[in-house]
Parts: sequence; C-alpha cells; structure tokens
Amino acid sequence: MMLKYLKKYWFFALLAPLFMIGEVLMDLFQPGMMSTIVDEGVLGLSNGGVGDLNLVVVEGVKMIGVVFLGGVFGVLCGVCTNIASQNFGNDMRKDCFQKIMTLSLEQTDQFSTGSLITRVTNDITQVQNMVAQCIRGFIRMMMFFVGGIFFMIQLDLSFGVVVLCALPLVMVTVIFFISKVTPLYGKLQKKLDRVNSVMQENVTGVRVVKAYVKEDYEEKRFFDANDELVGTQLRVLVLLSYMMPIMNIIMNVAVVAVIYVGAIQVKAGDVTPGNVMAAITYLSQILNSVMMLAMLFQTVSRGTASMKRINEVLTCTPVIVNGEEETTQPETERGSVEFRSVSFSYPQAKGDAVLKDISVKIRAGETFAILGATGCGKSSLVNLIPRFYDVTGGQVLVDGKDVRDYDLEELRGKVSIALQQSELFSKTIKENIAWGNPDATDEEIRKAARIAQAEEFILKQPDGYDTIVAEKGMSLSGGQKQRIAISRAVIKHAEILIFDDSTSALDLKTEANLYQALKESYPNVTKIIIAQRIASVKNADRIAVLDNGRIADCGTHEELLKRSEIYRDIYTSQLKQGGEIHE
Amino acid sequence: MSENKKTAEMPMMGPGGRRGPGMGMVEKPKNGKDTLKRLLHYFSVEKKMAVLLMLVVVVMVGFSIYAPKLQSNAIDFIAAGKFNKVIPVLVVMLVIYGFYALCSLAQSLLSAHLSQRIVKRMREDLFHKIVNLPVKYLDTHPHGDVMSRMTNDVENISNTVSQSFGSLVSGVLTVLGTVGMMIYLCWQLALLSCITVVLTIFVTKFLSKRMKLFFVKRQELLGSLNSTTEENITGYKTVVAYNRQQAVIEEFDRTSDELTRTGIMAEILGGSMGPVMNVVNNIGFVIIAAFGGYFAIRGIVSVGMISAFIVYAKQFGRPINEIANLYGQIQTAIAGAERVFAIMDETSEDKSGDPMPEGKGVIRFEHVDFSYVPEKQVLYDFDLEVRAGHKVALVGATGSGKTTVVNLLMRFYEVNQGRILIDGADIREISMNELRKNIAIVLQDTVLFSDTIRNNLKYADLDATDEQMEAAAEMGNCNTMIRRMEHGYDTMLTESGQNLSHGQRQLLAISRAVLANPKILILDEATSSVDTRTEKHIQDAMVNLMKDRTSVIIAHRLSTIQDADFIVVLDQGRIVESGNHTELIEKQGRYYELYMTQFLGKEI
Repeated sequence: MMLKYLKKYWFFALLAPLFMIGEVLMDLFQPGMMSTIVDEGVLGLSNGGVGDLNLVVVEGVKMIGVVFLGGVFGVLCGVCTNIASQNFGNDMRKDCFQKIMTLSLEQTDQFSTGSLITRVTNDITQVQNMVAQCIRGFIRMMMFFVGGIFFMIQLDLSFGVVVLCALPLVMVTVIFFISKVTPLYGKLQKKLDRVNSVMQENVTGVRVVKAYVKEDYEEKRFFDANDELVGTQLRVLVLLSYMMPIMNIIMNVAVVAVIYVGAIQVKAGDVTPGNVMAAITYLSQILNSVMMLAMLFQTVSRGTASMKRINEVLTCTPVIVNGEEETTQPETERGSVEFRSVSFSYPQAKGDAVLKDISVKIRAGETFAILGATGCGKSSLVNLIPRFYDVTGGQVLVDGKDVRDYDLEELRGKVSIALQQSELFSKTIKENIAWGNPDATDEEIRKAARIAQAEEFILKQPDGYDTIVAEKGMSLSGGQKQRIAISRAVIKHAEILIFDDSTSALDLKTEANLYQALKESYPNVTKIIIAQRIASVKNADRIAVLDNGRIADCGTHEELLKRSEIYRDIYTSQLKQGGEIHE
Repeated sequence: MSENKKTAEMPMMGPGGRRGPGMGMVEKPKNGKDTLKRLLHYFSVEKKMAVLLMLVVVVMVGFSIYAPKLQSNAIDFIAAGKFNKVIPVLVVMLVIYGFYALCSLAQSLLSAHLSQRIVKRMREDLFHKIVNLPVKYLDTHPHGDVMSRMTNDVENISNTVSQSFGSLVSGVLTVLGTVGMMIYLCWQLALLSCITVVLTIFVTKFLSKRMKLFFVKRQELLGSLNSTTEENITGYKTVVAYNRQQAVIEEFDRTSDELTRTGIMAEILGGSMGPVMNVVNNIGFVIIAAFGGYFAIRGIVSVGMISAFIVYAKQFGRPINEIANLYGQIQTAIAGAERVFAIMDETSEDKSGDPMPEGKGVIRFEHVDFSYVPEKQVLYDFDLEVRAGHKVALVGATGSGKTTVVNLLMRFYEVNQGRILIDGADIREISMNELRKNIAIVLQDTVLFSDTIRNNLKYADLDATDEQMEAAAEMGNCNTMIRRMEHGYDTMLTESGQNLSHGQRQLLAISRAVLANPKILILDEATSSVDTRTEKHIQDAMVNLMKDRTSVIIAHRLSTIQDADFIVVLDQGRIVESGNHTELIEKQGRYYELYMTQFLGKEI
C-alpha cells in the first residue's frame, strides 16, 4: 500500500540515502584531518613539539571544505527526503480525502466527522514522519550496523561472540516493547478522535452550552476525554522509558565484556590494546544504531497504526455506486419520479422500517407536496431520489429508469435538493450560491437570489454578494441561510427540485413569494415540497399525507379536506380560530 | 497585546487565503521571545518536577563525562599489562552504568510526566478559554482552525517538550560547563572561541528569520486544511447533493499542495541548520587551532593546555549541533504555541456580576441599538416591555432582527446603545451565569450531543430525577417516541443525528428546555420542523408551563402565536406594530397582511 505511493518518488527516496552516504563519508574524513591539524600543526608531534601554522591553515581550509561538502550532502539528503516523504504524504492525503468524497452517507456517518478529520490530518502526518525517518534513518543505521559487525569480527572472533550474545537480548527487548506499545498507538488515535469530537460539538454548539450555563460541565467532559488521551500517551511514554535504560545496560555490559575479553586476549597476546579500543568504538556504533533502530521502530509502529486507519478509509468501497445500464431514456419523460412499493429502513437501525410499501408517481412538471407528522419519514422518502440511501425494497424510478441504473453524477444532476439544515461554506454569498452551478453568470446568480427572495437582504450585507459567510453565518438568520441554500438549489437548473422542509424559517409571506416566483420562472420543473404548514402546500397539484411510513392519502387540497381525516386534523390545528377569516 | 489581537484575527482570513493577497499574513513573524517566556511559565508551575529533571540531567552529564575516563583507564591498564587491576575498574564501570541507566530511566519518566502534564494543562486552559469566549469569537472563526490549535499545535508542543527537553538541558549544561573550563584554561583562546558563538548567533538569526515564516505559515495552512476538511465532511450531504465532490477535492488539493510546498521548505530550512552549524563550528575550530598554534610558538600557553583546549572546543560543538538539529521542531512548537496563546489572549466573557434580582421576570428593552458589523445596524431604538408571566411573540420577515433580540437577551452579544432590564436590573450588571440559568432557550438549529437521550435531556438539569425527565419528555411530546426506540432513554444519538429526524430532535430540545424549569423561556423557531399537530400537543402542554413564566416566542406560523398576550411586529430592525392578535387584525396593518398570506397562501 505504502510502496504504491512511494513509487512515484522513488528517485528522491533513493537519492536521499546516497547523499546520506556522502555525508557520512565526509564525516569519516573529518576526524583524521582534525587529528592531523592538532597533532602535526599545533602540537608538532613529529616535529619535536614545534607547530606548523601553515599546515594548520592549509589543512584547516581543506577540512572546512570537506565539512562544507558534507553539509551540502546533508542538506541535499534533507531536500530529497522531504520531497519524497511530504509528497508521499500529500498524495495519500489527497487520495484519502478524495475517497471520503466518494463514500456513501451511511459510511461517513459510521466513521464520524471527528474521526475522519483526524485521519486526514493527524494520521497522515504520522505516516509521513515514518517515511521520512525510514528514508533518512534506516540506511544509515544499517550501514553502521553491518559495517560495525563486519569490522568487529575482523578484529577478533571473540569480540564477535560478545556481539552475538548481546544482539539477541537487544532484539528481544525491542520486540517486547514494540509489541506492547503498538496496540497503544491505535488506542491513542482513537482517544484523539474523542477529544476532537468533544471539541467539535462544543464549537458548533456554543449557544446551547452557554444558554444552559454548562461551561463547567463541558469542561469536565473535555477534561475526561483529554485525561484519557494524555493517560494513554503517558502509558506509551512510560513504557518506552523502560526500553532505553534496558538497552543501555545491555550495551554497557557488552562494553565491559569486550574489555574483559580483550584483557584476556591481550594477555594471551592475540590482540593489541589498540584493537580493544577500536572494538569498543565499533561496538558502541553497532549498539547505537540498534538503539536508533528501536527509536525508528517506535515511529514505524505509530505510523503503522495510523496507516491502518488510513487504509480503512482508502479501502472502504462506496456502498452506493454508479449504475451500469447504459440505456437511453425516453426524452418525453423529463422530471418524473415514481416510487414502486418502496420500503426503507436505515442501515444498522433496528426496529420498524421508516417507509413501508410506498407507491406513488409524480408527473413531470407537477408540484407535489408531502405533509406528515414529525418523524413519519418525509425526509427519508426524498433522500431516496438522489440516492443518498438505497431502498431496502421496491424501486425508485426517475424518468422511468431505476435510480440504481443511473450514473450517480447524471442522476444527481437531474435532482436539486435544498436540505433541511442549510450547510453554508465559509466563502462569499456569491460563491455559496454558485456552488449549485459553477458556470453560472452573475446575472444568473442574481436571478436565483431573486427567486429565492434573497436579493433584498444580500444587498444589505456589508459587501453585498461578496460578503463572506462567516462560520455558522454570524450575521445571517436562519431564514437568510435557508434562502441562500434555496438560491443554490434553484440555480442548478435541475429537472427535479426538492425542498426538504427548507422553508421552515421563512415567514409565510416570503415563502409565498418564493413559490410564486418559482412557478413563474420554472413552470416545467418538477417540484417536490416537504413542509409543515398547509398554507405552504395548499396550492400544490397534489399533496401526499404521510403517516407512520405509509401514504395515508394523496390528492388536492380540496379533495383531502373532504376525505382525509388526518389532513383535516392538521388543517384545523393550523388554522384554529383564524379559519373563518378567509372562508 | 495588539500584536496578538492581529494574530487572532488572521485565521478568519485563513480559508479565505485562497482568495486575494491572503498570504500577506505571513509577512510578520510574531514575537517568539514572548511566546517562549509564556511557554516557560508552564514549566515553572511544575517547578519541582522540572528541577528534579534538571538535576537528573546534570548527574547524567557527569556520568557521561566520567564513564569514558574509566574506559580509557581500563585500556591503559590492559596496555600496561596490569590485568589484575582491570577487574576492579570493570566492576566500578558496571556500577556506574547501572546508575546511569537508572538516571536515564528517571529522566525519561520525568520528562514523560512533565510533558504530559504540561500538555494536559495547556489543553485544559485552552478549552477553558474557548468555552468562556464570547459567542462572537466562534461565530467569526473557522471551527476547523480552532480545533487544529487544540490538537495539532498542542501535540507539537508536547512532542517537543518530551523529546527535546532533555537534550536541550544537557546541551546547554555542556556548553556552559565547557565554556567555563575554557575560560579557566586560557581566557585569550576562550575569547577567540566567542567568534564561534557570535557566528552561531548570527547564522541562527539569519536562518531563523526565514524559517519562521515557513513554520508559521505551515501551521496556518494546516489549520486551513483542517477547516476545509471539517466543513466539507460535516456538509457532506450538501456536497453530494450538488455533485460538487470534484470541485471540493480540487480545493482541498490546492491547500494540501501548498501545505506540502511550505512543509518541504520549512523542513529543508530546519534540517539545514545542523550542517550549517557544523561548518560554523569547524571554522571556529580551525581559528582556535591556528591561534593556539601561534600562541604555543610564542610560548604564551603550554602545548598540553592547547590539546586540552582543543578537546573542549570539539566538545563545545556537539551540543550546539544537537540543538541546531532540534531547531525545526522547536520552531514548529513555537509557531504552534503562538497560535494557542493567540486564543488565550482573547477576552473572555465577564462572568462577574450581581445575582438575578428577585422578581417574576419583567423584561424591559430600553432604546436598544445593535449592529454585528459597525456599518450595518440591525436593531434601531428597540423599546419593549414584557410583563411578568406574559407571552410575547416576535414576528416579522426573516432578517428583521428577531433572533438578534434573543442574542442580546442571552448576552451572546452586548447592546451598543440603550439597555435591557430584567426585574429592574440591567442585565450587564447581572452575572452571565445567573442570567442564563434563569432563561431557557430552544433554538432553530437543534444542538444535541453524541450521548444518550437521557443525558441529552438531563443536560438542562444534571440533578433531575428520571421521573422529572420523563415528565418533561411527556410535555415535549416525545416520551412515546423515545419509549418506542429499542434502547429507550439509553439510545445513543449519533453525531449527525441520522437516527432522528429534524423534528424529533426539536422535540428533544424542547423537552430539555422544559426540564430546565426557567424563569424566562425563549423559543426561537423552536417548532419549525415539528408538524402542526404535534406542535399543538406541545403547546397545549406548554400553556401550563408558560403560565407563570415570561416567554418570548419567535415563530412564522402565526397559528402558534395567536394566543400570545402581546405581539410585536418587527421590520428591518424597528418595531412597526404591537398589540394582541385581535387588535392587530382590526388594525389591518402589517400583521394583518402577514396573517392573510399565511392562510391564503399567496400574496395579497
């Protein structure tokens, strides 16, 4: 999985270690030159204690040159590593986000917003760090490790025995700690999700938190989540705290052992004291690199935990996919919707189905209203048309074709829906409207705004259409936000226009004006309106009364008044004593 | 402080950075020293631990200097053939190493605890700040960015503290110790090595100025990326509904690409610090060697001293190098800390004040003027008295300022002119908590928490009994609905509220307000997504509830407000009509007009 992403940058990923080798080599040259400067130049060891200033300067300049070259290699190594790892992370991040954008709603619901955000940001960073450290550290460590062992065994086999004894101990330690710590990393990311979620709820729900004076309560809730996160992180750190000293002891005991073995060997005349010194240097190099490897494993195990979480997203296949049938539809039917014995229940939700055996045909160009009690399934019904969810039984046909056979983009291009909760983005009002149709001209934007009865208040904003909608729309009321959302739906020029209770915050006069304008401007568009108020829907061609997941009745306002008890009930409840005024 | 203010406002432009000259924001790196000082303040609270850690590090530095000496002793003995003396040295070495290991265990345990405590406190402080900020702050700042500060930025600080604190302290100690030794050995040469120090400072300054731009910008872009992600994932349904996935992806990619570019630059610059320092150090070394040689020839210093001096000069370089290598990480942490402190510098709501006056809840608005943005006034000379126990309805076109009245009454925003009195006391004199405790509010955008229904209802009153809760649910007409669910009151609400319809969520919010049992009740479009029959049920139940309470109702459905004691018609921030239903209908004015459209369903 990771290799796939790294492949694109293999050049840099390979070049980086090469520069690294250059840097290490330069580092190796430098001590020799330095000792020449000190021994010959300053102390004049071979010259009877008389220094040679010229030599100091010449060698000094050479050494600075070498160091400089090493520095250049080092920087280049950094450049390559960063180009490889960060581009790698970037590609993965983009793919991840792209994947999320193809998921079905039920899937994003399952992941939860907070978790998806953590995955796209924090988890990617962890994986990116892992790659960077691997490129930079792994080769270097291996060089020291293999080289060290090689030279050590060359010095004397007995030193090799010490290494062979120490290494398995080191390995066991590393494996022990890594296996302990890896599951914690997965947990850590989950706790981070939780902190993110509490944070998000508070940020979006400030008004409620403040209105109920629950600042302290929320703080406690956050503190709990934070304590858990910090606690888990501490467990990781504490666990790892034990790793280093243990490694240290193993390493130092090995050094002592080398000296001891060395002493015996020197006594026997097999090696020189200089060899012992060299052996110690190599040993510390080997063990140092092992320790660095252990550190690297930490990053790797954290990165792997994150990688798993990213993979969960990347490998998640959308439940709702494009239809395959490539049939051309009859041109005569543009904008018809038919429900054929549709039943539906939300995935994972148990209990009663939300919709039961719904059959109704909405003709092209018709204004069709849906009325019903809270929670009776009105929104669920229209959610099936653009395939936010799929039916559990029966079928939904748009223009005579099953929605599951459509290309999703084509289907959703036919349908424009203004949602119950109007999501605005922190862009200008103009951009928010044009969101519905990126190619729209300014004139079209204004026309849409006029239809949605929004132009008047938009022009009153500080910068008119160019006013930026701040988070949650500070200066926009609920009704204003809804009207921007409606403008957005209108400008899409779809065959089917759905208002999912999206006029609830409009006063009736504005709402009436809106429907009037809509009727005049788009007589041929099929309009499906979900509403609570009879006044909003009484002029519709047909009104369906939804009750408990079934269509209780369907007909015009007058018909329903005559024959539907439920409808009459709603009607009188809304009109109350005001009923006689216009009748 | 004004500097910080500017910082705090920048993120508002953050996501807008794609537009216009947004990147100009990076031009001024903020005061790093100040930030560092405040960061250190967090350490000073954990004084004991920090001092202990420092001590451990000192001991470790001592050990690490002493141990190689023992090693060379052992080798010397071997070389001299005194094998019987080797064993005791080795035993001492083992003991020392044992101590060293213990110290390093103590060090990492201490720094783990220290860093986590600091992070915990910092997050708590930040959260405490955020929940106590005026509503305005969150209304005007991208949420994703605020969240990024809480997680990414604090996390960076945490990593830096836990990973580099030890090396930083030991580095500084080694440098100080070495400098001390050098001055003691030969002050002339020590002065010379100041050249290295000066060079180091110069180079650091030069590089860090450039680096900082990138590090600050990177954290900002990260915040902006977070915002984009948050916005599009929370608004995913809208994105899908408009087939805008591609465009959203492109936008994300742009920010992501820019973040990568900035990140690469930042990391490269940060990473080059080490090699550059290495070069600087070696230049210093050559200078010392040259002058040392010169001094030796002149006989100012002994050759032995020079060789010792050179060892120290070498030692001097290592910690500086280490610190330089940590530089990038430290910069990221400081850039993050700056963003965290920027929020902390915002003014919190002033919660002090008098207790709620005794009384039945008379609300009086006296000549209130208000605007969110200076030039756009929303309310003009709003003057209204709501008598105790009365039910007042605000009607008017959308954007006429109805919700603003609620914002002001709850002190989410403060009036510009005039005042609001409750039972004769200016609400600015009453403590915010007291005020809000006595007012319950149900908003149009229902906010529920991802918790059980029970906990969501009891949010209003944590001490409420189950009986009280169910009574409230009954009144809010959702008891039956909840009972029908598989887990009843223990049903978990999902974040996106998929398992409940909008109307059902509103019913829960109403029940929650009922449970709060307030003196004053505000319903802001609270029943807009509840069908009228259900609403009727709620209202019947609420007649009792509202009997002894002052209530302010905002609604479009005139049927819901006909029996209000007093109706106020607002238009463009001004009161244009007021009276009860019958009076207003007879008057045939604006209210009459609204009323007629409601039932006729078309314009008059």
